[in-house]
Amino acid sequence: MDKSRDLTMSGNIQSTVTLTITEKSGSVRSRKLNMITKSYDDGTIKRMVKFLDPADVRGTAMLIVDSKDAQDDMWIYLPALKKTRRIVSTEKGKSFMSSEFSNADMSSGSNTDFIIRHLPESGKTDTWIIENVPVSDEKADEYGFSKKVTYLEKGSLKTKKIDFYNFDGEMFKTIEILATQPLTGKEGYVMTDMLARNHLNGRSSRVKFDQVNTTASIPDNTFLADNLAR
Amino acid sequence: MAAGLGLLIPSSETDPDIRNYIPRNLPSRVTNDSIEKEFGVQDMIIVLFTDTTILKPGDLGQVKEVDRALSRMEGIGMVNSLYTARKIEGSEGMMVVDPLIDRIPENAEEMESLKRDILANRFARDIVVASDMTAAAITGTITANVPEYETLNRVDSVIAAQHGDAQILTGGLPYIRQFITGDVNHDAMILIPIALLIMLTVLKLSLGDWRSVLIPFSVVILSTVITLGMIPLLGWKFSIIMCLAPIILISVANNYGIYLVSRHQELSRSDLPVTGKEMVRSVTGSLNMPILFSGLTTIAGLLGLLTHSIIPARQVGILSAAGVTLALAMSLLLIPALIYMQHTPGRKPRPPRSEKNDLIIRALAGISSLVIRRPGRVLLVSLVLTLLMGTGIVFLRIDTNQENFFPHKHPVRQASEIINSKFGGSQTISVMISGDIKDPILMQRIDDLTQHLKGSEGVGGVFSISDVVREMSMALYEPAEEGYDMIPASSAAIAQMFELYNMSGDPDDFKQLMNFENTKAHLLVRLSKPDNKIVRDLRDDIKSYTADFPARVTTGGYAIIMIDFAQKIINGQVSSLVFALITVLILLAVIFRSLKGGLIGSIPLAASIIIQFGVMGLTGVAIDAATALLSSIMIGVGVDFTIQFLWRYKTELTKAETRQEAISETYRTTGRSIVINGMSVMAGFSATFFSGFLSIRFFGYLTLLAIGSCLIYAIIVMPAFMLWFKPGFIEANLKRINKNNKENEKNVISIASDTGSVTAGYIGTAVRSRTADGQES
Repeated sequence: MDKSRDLTMSGNIQSTVTLTITEKSGSVRSRKLNMITKSYDDGTIKRMVKFLDPADVRGTAMLIVDSKDAQDDMWIYLPALKKTRRIVSTEKGKSFMSSEFSNADMSSGSNTDFIIRHLPESGKTDTWIIENVPVSDEKADEYGFSKKVTYLEKGSLKTKKIDFYNFDGEMFKTIEILATQPLTGKEGYVMTDMLARNHLNGRSSRVKFDQVNTTASIPDNTFLADNLAR
Repeated sequence: MAAGLGLLIPSSETDPDIRNYIPRNLPSRVTNDSIEKEFGVQDMIIVLFTDTTILKPGDLGQVKEVDRALSRMEGIGMVNSLYTARKIEGSEGMMVVDPLIDRIPENAEEMESLKRDILANRFARDIVVASDMTAAAITGTITANVPEYETLNRVDSVIAAQHGDAQILTGGLPYIRQFITGDVNHDAMILIPIALLIMLTVLKLSLGDWRSVLIPFSVVILSTVITLGMIPLLGWKFSIIMCLAPIILISVANNYGIYLVSRHQELSRSDLPVTGKEMVRSVTGSLNMPILFSGLTTIAGLLGLLTHSIIPARQVGILSAAGVTLALAMSLLLIPALIYMQHTPGRKPRPPRSEKNDLIIRALAGISSLVIRRPGRVLLVSLVLTLLMGTGIVFLRIDTNQENFFPHKHPVRQASEIINSKFGGSQTISVMISGDIKDPILMQRIDDLTQHLKGSEGVGGVFSISDVVREMSMALYEPAEEGYDMIPASSAAIAQMFELYNMSGDPDDFKQLMNFENTKAHLLVRLSKPDNKIVRDLRDDIKSYTADFPARVTTGGYAIIMIDFAQKIINGQVSSLVFALITVLILLAVIFRSLKGGLIGSIPLAASIIIQFGVMGLTGVAIDAATALLSSIMIGVGVDFTIQFLWRYKTELTKAETRQEAISETYRTTGRSIVINGMSVMAGFSATFFSGFLSIRFFGYLTLLAIGSCLIYAIIVMPAFMLWFKPGFIEANLKRINKNNKENEKNVISIASDTGSVTAGYIGTAVRSRTADGQES
C-alpha cells in the first residue's frame, strides 16, 4: 500500500478540472476549475483552486493545505464579497466541493491511520484486494467509514477501484479510476478521471482532469492566501 | 360463512398512520407529497435526555453514545444533535467551521464555555439543547430503506443499553405511530372480548334464562365474526377508528333479537298452550315490520358514514352496515327458527320471571304514571334541559392532534410535552418556495418570512436557508461591518456563499433547506402548540404574507394535512348527519305514512344531536377522528327506540279505551324491550372505556350519553308529546278512542283545575293495566 500510495504522490500538477455531480433524479450540476497541486516531502499537499464556471461563482478561489498529521487548513476568497476567509476543519470525511468525494479521497491519505491486510481472495487473479480499517473509532468517525477495500492492479500497483463500507458494514460508496496519466520523467501517475458512486442515495460525482501538466515548475509562493484574489 | 371469514381474522394488519385516513388526492396531501419528493420525509424520531442539568460528563457521554449509534444506523437519515451541530465563527480573518463540541468538557470552566457556545448558537439553542440546560435532544429522520418498526427497535436497543443519570424518552411521529399500532392491537385483542362479556352479562340480567340470552347473542357472534373477516378480505387494515366497527356490531346486532325474545317471553307469560308455529306467528306478526324498519334506519344511519372523507370512517360505515344487515336477516330468519325449536315437544321454555319482580317493568310503570300525569311539564323540562345543554355547541372545538389520543401519563404524551415546550415541537409545517433562490430579493423575502414566523404564536422554531446565509455573513464580516448578519445584496454573493458552505460544511446540511439546483427552498416550521386553530391561522398568515413573493409558494407538512383532516371531519359530520337524517326522515315518513310522522319521529334524534354536541362543548371534549363517527352511529341506533315505541303505541291505540291506557300498555310491553335494548347497546359501547386511546374512551362516554338521550326521549318525551299534541299520523287508525274523547278532554280540563284527583285516576289506569300481570285489562 505504501508503494501504491507513493506512485500517486505526483509532485506538481497543473490542470483544468471538471467536476460533475449527478443526482439520482438525473439533475446535473457542473463546476469547472483551475487546479494547481504541489506535494511536499513531509506528506503535505497544497492545492490552489479557482472556479471558472458557472458565472456566478467565477473567481471564487480556494487554497487547501492538507497536512499529513495536523488538521487541514482552507482559505477561500469570495469575489462578490471581496472577502478572504480561513476555514478550519478537522473532518477529513467531509465532502469535497459538495461531491461524493471526500477531502480525504482527493489526497493520497496516510496509511498509518489504517490497519491494512490482504483479503483472502487477494492476488488470486490479477488484482490485489486490500482491506483498510481505521485504527480507532475516532479515526473512523473522522474518515466517515468503517473500512475501505482497495483493488490494485497486481503488476503496476495502480488503484482500480475502492469500495467504502458504512458502520453497518454495508458498502455505501465506490470510487472507480476511469483513466490515469503517467508522470513525465518519474515513476508514478495521475488519476485523471474518477467516478464516485453513492449506493445509498444514488448520487454520483465525476472528476475529470484536462490539460494535465505534471512538469510545470510551481513556486511555493503560489500557495499564499494573498494570491486568492488575483 | 362465519367459519370461513373467521379464519381470515388472524391475517388482519394494522395501519397506524393517520395520513392514510385521508384520500391521496386531498390537496394538502398532494402538496405535501410534492414537498417530500423534493426534500425527503420530514418525519423524525426524537430522543430526549432530561436531568437537572444535562451539562454533566455522564449525561454528555450518553448523548454522544446515542448520537454515534444513530449516525451509523441504517434506517436513520440525517441526525441532528449536540455532536453534529456546527459552530461557524469569524475572527481575525478566519472563518472556523467546527463541531460545537469536539470533546466532553472536563472541568467547570470548560462546561461553562460549552454552555455559552450553545446559547449563542442559533442552530443548537432549543434545538439540540434546551435553554435551561435541563434537556438535550437528538433528532433523526426516518429513511424508507428499512422497515420503520425495525429502525425503532434498533433505536430502543441503543437506548436500553444506556445506564446513566439522564432519563431518556423517545418521541416524534414514528414513535406515535408505533404506540398507535400497539394500542390498536391491544384494543382489538381486549375490547372485543370485553364487549362480548358485558353484552352476555347484560342479556342475562335482562332476559333471565340462558336460552333467551343465547338467541340474540348467537346473532352477535356470527355477524361480528363475519364482519371482522371482511376486513382482511377487502384488503383493509385495522386503524384506531376501525376498532369501533366490531364494538358497534356487538352493541347493535342483538337489538332485533331482544325485541323478538322479549315478545316471546311476554307471550310465554300468558301460559296459553300454543304450538311452535303459533308462537312464531305471534312473535313475528307484530314485530317483523318495526324490526325491519328499525334495521333499515340503523343501516341508513351507518351508511351516512359513506359521505365522510375520512377513509376508515367510510370503511366503518360499510362494515357496520353490512354487519347490521346480516344481524337483521338472521334476526328475522334464524331467531324465529330457534324460537320454533324451543317449542317442540319436550322443550317447553322455562317461564320467565313475573312482572312484579321485573325491575325494568316497575321502573317503567313509575315513568309511565309521571308521563301520563304531567305530559306538559315533561315536555317543558326536556325542552329546557336540551336547550341548556345545547348552549355548549358554541364551545365545540375540533382536534386532530395525534398526541392527544394518548392519556397525559403516556410516554408519548410526556415526550411530546417536553419536545413542544423545550425544543420547538415535533410537528411541522413545510413552506416550499420555488424560484431563483440565489436572487437577493427573494432571499430577503424568505428571511422576512422566517423572522415573521419565529415571532408567531405557536411556532417553536424555523429552519431556513436564509438563517444559514445570515450565519455565514456573521462569520465573513466583523460585527461593525456593513453586511454583518444580513442577506447579501447580489446574486453572485449568495451563490458564492453557498459554494463556501459546500466547501466547509456537509452538503447534506442543505438538503432539507434547498434543492440541488437552487431552485427550491424549504422552510421547516416547528410547532410548539400544534392546535388546529393555531395551525390554521399560521397557514392563512403564510398565504397572505407570501401573496406578493417573487416566487411560487406552497405550504404543506403534517400539521397542514391535519387541518385539512379537521375540515374533512367537519364536512363529514355535516354530510353524514344530513344524509342520515334525511334518510331516516324518509323511512319514518314511509313507516308512519306521513311526512309529519317522519318529522316528529326525528325529534329524539335532533334533540340527542343537540345534547351530544352541547355536552362536548361544555366538557371540552373535541371532535376528532373517533368522535366524528358518533352522530351517524347515534342516528343509526337511536332511532330504533322511537320507531318501536310509536309502532306499538299506534297498535295499542286501536285496542285501548284511552290514550293513557295505550301509553301504559306500550310501556309495559315494548317499553321493556326498548330499555333492555338501550342498556345493552350502552353496555356494549362501554367496552371502549378500556381502550388505550383517550379519544376512543371519550367516544364511549359520548355514545352512552347519545344513546341514553335517544332512549330517554323515546320513552319519556315522545309519550308525553303523543299525549299532549295527539298527532294525527299516530291516531289515524283510531277506532275506539273517539268515543272516549269527551271523557279525556274532561280529564285534561280537570288536570288544570284539580291535578290531584285526575292524577289518582291516571295512576289507577296505570295500576289497573299493571296488576293484570300479563292479562289484557
